[in-house]
Amino acid sequence: MQYWATMVLWIILAALTAAVAAILILPFARATKAASADRAGEVAVYRDQLAELDRDRAQGLINAEEAEYARAEIGRRLLAAAGAGEGKEIAAPKARKHALATAVVTLVPPLVGLCLYLALGNPGMPDQPLEARLANPGNNVALLVAKAERHLAENPNDGAGWDLLAPIYFRSMRLGDAELAYRNAIRILGPNPLRLAGLGETLVASNDGIVTEDARAAFEQAMKLDPDNPRSRFYVGLGFEQAGRAAEARAQFEAIAKGSPPDAPWMQLVNQHIAKNGGTVAAGQDTAQAPGNPSQADVAAAESLSQGDRQAMIRGMVDSLAERLKQEPNNLEGWVRLVRSYAVLGDKPKAEEALKSGLKQFPSSGELVALAHEMGLAVEGVAQ
Amino acid sequence: MIIEIGHYALVLALATALIVSVLPVIGARRGDAAMMALAPTGSLVLFALVAFSFGVLTWAYVVSDFSVANVWENSHSLMPLIYKYSGVWGNHEGSMLLWLLILVFFSALVAVFGRNLPDTLRANVLAVQAWISTAFLFFILLTSNPFLRLDPAPAEGQDLNPVLQDFGLAVHPPLLYLGYVGFSVCFSFAVAALIEGRIDAAWARWVRPWTLAAWTFLTAGIAMGSYWAYYELGWGGWWFWDPVENASFMPWLAGTALLHSALVMEKREALKIWTVLLAIMTFSLSLLGTFLVRSGVLTSVHSFATDPTRGIFILCILGIFIGGAFVLFAWRAPMLKAGGIFAPISREGALVLNNLILTVATATVLTGTLYPLILETLTGEKISVGAPFFNMTFGLLMLPLLVAVPFGPVLAWKRGDLLGALQRLYVFAGLALAAGLIFFYIQNGGPVLAIFGLVLGFWGMIGAFADLWYRANFAKVGLSVGLKRLTGLPRSVFGTAIAHFGLGVTVLGIFAATTFGTETVVEMKQGASVDVGGYSLTYDGLRDAVGPNYTEQRGHFAVSRGGVQVADVWSSKRLYTARRMPTTEAGILTFGLSQLYVSLGDAMDSGGMVVRIWWKPFILCIWGGALVMMFGGFVSLSDRRLRVGAPSRKVKPIKATLEAAE
Repeated sequence: MQYWATMVLWIILAALTAAVAAILILPFARATKAASADRAGEVAVYRDQLAELDRDRAQGLINAEEAEYARAEIGRRLLAAAGAGEGKEIAAPKARKHALATAVVTLVPPLVGLCLYLALGNPGMPDQPLEARLANPGNNVALLVAKAERHLAENPNDGAGWDLLAPIYFRSMRLGDAELAYRNAIRILGPNPLRLAGLGETLVASNDGIVTEDARAAFEQAMKLDPDNPRSRFYVGLGFEQAGRAAEARAQFEAIAKGSPPDAPWMQLVNQHIAKNGGTVAAGQDTAQAPGNPSQADVAAAESLSQGDRQAMIRGMVDSLAERLKQEPNNLEGWVRLVRSYAVLGDKPKAEEALKSGLKQFPSSGELVALAHEMGLAVEGVAQ
Repeated sequence: MIIEIGHYALVLALATALIVSVLPVIGARRGDAAMMALAPTGSLVLFALVAFSFGVLTWAYVVSDFSVANVWENSHSLMPLIYKYSGVWGNHEGSMLLWLLILVFFSALVAVFGRNLPDTLRANVLAVQAWISTAFLFFILLTSNPFLRLDPAPAEGQDLNPVLQDFGLAVHPPLLYLGYVGFSVCFSFAVAALIEGRIDAAWARWVRPWTLAAWTFLTAGIAMGSYWAYYELGWGGWWFWDPVENASFMPWLAGTALLHSALVMEKREALKIWTVLLAIMTFSLSLLGTFLVRSGVLTSVHSFATDPTRGIFILCILGIFIGGAFVLFAWRAPMLKAGGIFAPISREGALVLNNLILTVATATVLTGTLYPLILETLTGEKISVGAPFFNMTFGLLMLPLLVAVPFGPVLAWKRGDLLGALQRLYVFAGLALAAGLIFFYIQNGGPVLAIFGLVLGFWGMIGAFADLWYRANFAKVGLSVGLKRLTGLPRSVFGTAIAHFGLGVTVLGIFAATTFGTETVVEMKQGASVDVGGYSLTYDGLRDAVGPNYTEQRGHFAVSRGGVQVADVWSSKRLYTARRMPTTEAGILTFGLSQLYVSLGDAMDSGGMVVRIWWKPFILCIWGGALVMMFGGFVSLSDRRLRVGAPSRKVKPIKATLEAAE
């Protein structure tokens, strides 16, 4: 199929080239006549100028004497043009051979065309109008998404469509679209734990891993609808932890541990958080790694519950915030957020470093110091 | 497959352009008719190939074929259809293809309508056009190829820059390019004449329609661009002396000079060398403009993307064509025969004055545009040359020119009578003065300069008709004969009068809008009112709204006059979601020729909004005048005499003409 299409293409290109060469050769194929040094055009121009001179004269734009001079001037040009034309026309037509010229005209189009096109073109590539691709999307996720988007643009109240699309957006890191899709699905189909948790996660992801008010509300509502959902509960606990309310956090994490089978994949992480919030891990569950190892950071909780590369993504967001602050340090809120993010990610040295920089910028910020205490970070040497 | 055929057609166009570049020139030297005949045939083939290629790209946009990288970068499947069409040239690659399309279109026009030209001249002109086409084909294929493919193809495009999602994009670039590129024909004529070493009055007549057409389109293109910037950017200004604007304005100034000097050359065979030089300069300025805009030397909406190889490539094209043309000029110009002589005060003299001022003005703008760039390149220091510089230099230069405009047409050729001309014009001058004073009185207030400016505007408008009045000779021969004489005048005389009238209208608009206009910046809370230009605006708060590919906050204002509500105006701040790009949409209300312009600023903590309101009296005159100028251009183009010796080659017997003169 593809092979035939390429064949057809080459046949068309060859035909096109031949047609161009044939048209360009036409002037040589015609009966060769000598150049008519025909200056009829010029003659016509000068005749018209004479007529115009008369008009100008009649309207008094030029006086009689000047007009006569001008007439003589134009007349001279006219005679010169007419004379030159006649003189040359007498010259005998000389038959010319155009062997070289015809060779050039025949060879240049295919040569230049072929060489350049082979270097630049993609002869094997078919056209891909979007309509045709959407009609037959196969397994192409991007196309399926585009198709769903079109459908939703026309039927914005199709809740099932939004519901389907939202997690796909989330996975492809289109967080703004994911949030919108989750909110639409919730608006149209009503809240359910899955949608609420998805919305919450989207919000957490778009806020550098921080469980914001909005996100917490979503998770809490999800928990109310399905108290056994460990995912929502984990985030609620994480929210408490980030707010420095260790006891409440621990209660949530312990509730997860209690409700989960001991070999659940998320237990390791949950236990780690229990420990972090001052609890003791049930016997036989002591698999938590040393705190501060980024690969075991909090947000990775989301990984074991949902999926793979979230960690790196959130880390990247935090790093970009750090980069931004390096350039525009005059942003207290930013510093608070950065310190908190590092602490939450379990990267204590970085958190302390960020705290130091933040305090350098805002030496009298009680907010930063309070945060440091809350997170158990060292503020010595800077707090003074 | 269609896309690949389109790509191949472009490659084949290069092959054709190469052939047309070489063989006809040899043919013209050897007097070989067949080789010369290749030029028109080849030019038509070239046009067909490029047009096909352009059509294919357009098709790719319309069907959203995202396997074409250019389409993916600049389109979106949900974009309204008109932007899919205009989006073709809303990016670097596509706009260069449009440039090329218009270039070969003009070549095709010369091939079709140039049958009355001497064979050698036509062959050379078309060959020079083919040189330019070759250069730009190489540029497009090697550095800006719109047919590069993506495999696998993305499912959705990246959308067109929101600022460009406007009707203006559909109109402004094609018009501007028709103007820019139209001057290539004049350039080719000039170079061809230099190659042949022969130039005469007939040459000037053949060049005239091309100059006129290019000038007309350029006028419209610049005016359109100015109006677009005015309503889209939300700054209330209509001309910013921005380098990109200057880049289009310089060819216009030089082209205007060319238009007038070609007139002298045609009538009197004087100013030959100067006209050739102007023809070269005008297109050189067009190329310079293309370079400035396309190379990314300037960062603006127009640059789309920056890429140093492209800049260097265009710089080379620029160097070869401009440098080559000037070398040819220096070598050949001394061989050209000088033409007729004339007294300083004559039609020719007036046109020389026009040329002098326009050229100096062009040089001024060129300096103001390039100096900051050169300084930045050499020393790294950034300076900006803005409106004050241009107003002082360019503005002052224009004043005497505007005074002189009405004199030109009423002065006689060869030796004019200034006193006579003054006598003829004093009535009109009086009328203009009176109109200016009345206007000033009605608008009440403003500096003294304004009176001068207004009088100047009316002087241009009214003076434009002085020529018609005296030619018809109403005063002596009465109304009916006068009317008969008037209708018997050639169309180009009307064209001149209309274009000069349009210039007056624009001048009037500029002075009225700048001297009587007001700018008000206020912080408004809901329900607050402000008086501007005799109208009262009441702010009615912000509302959220959603468009096809943007969300916006619309501020509503009720406009009333004398307590009666006369209109509503909406001004909004938009956010285009695909690119996360904010824009402002000014609210513009038109009252007659004047406009009320409302633009939203930032929201204040107190809950109010910063609102900028401009009252722009008679501002529409600025663009209206340009439209009138354009109309004058078309009237002049329709003049029978520009088609003299056209294909029919019907010539009146010379005897009859001579007899009629006696």
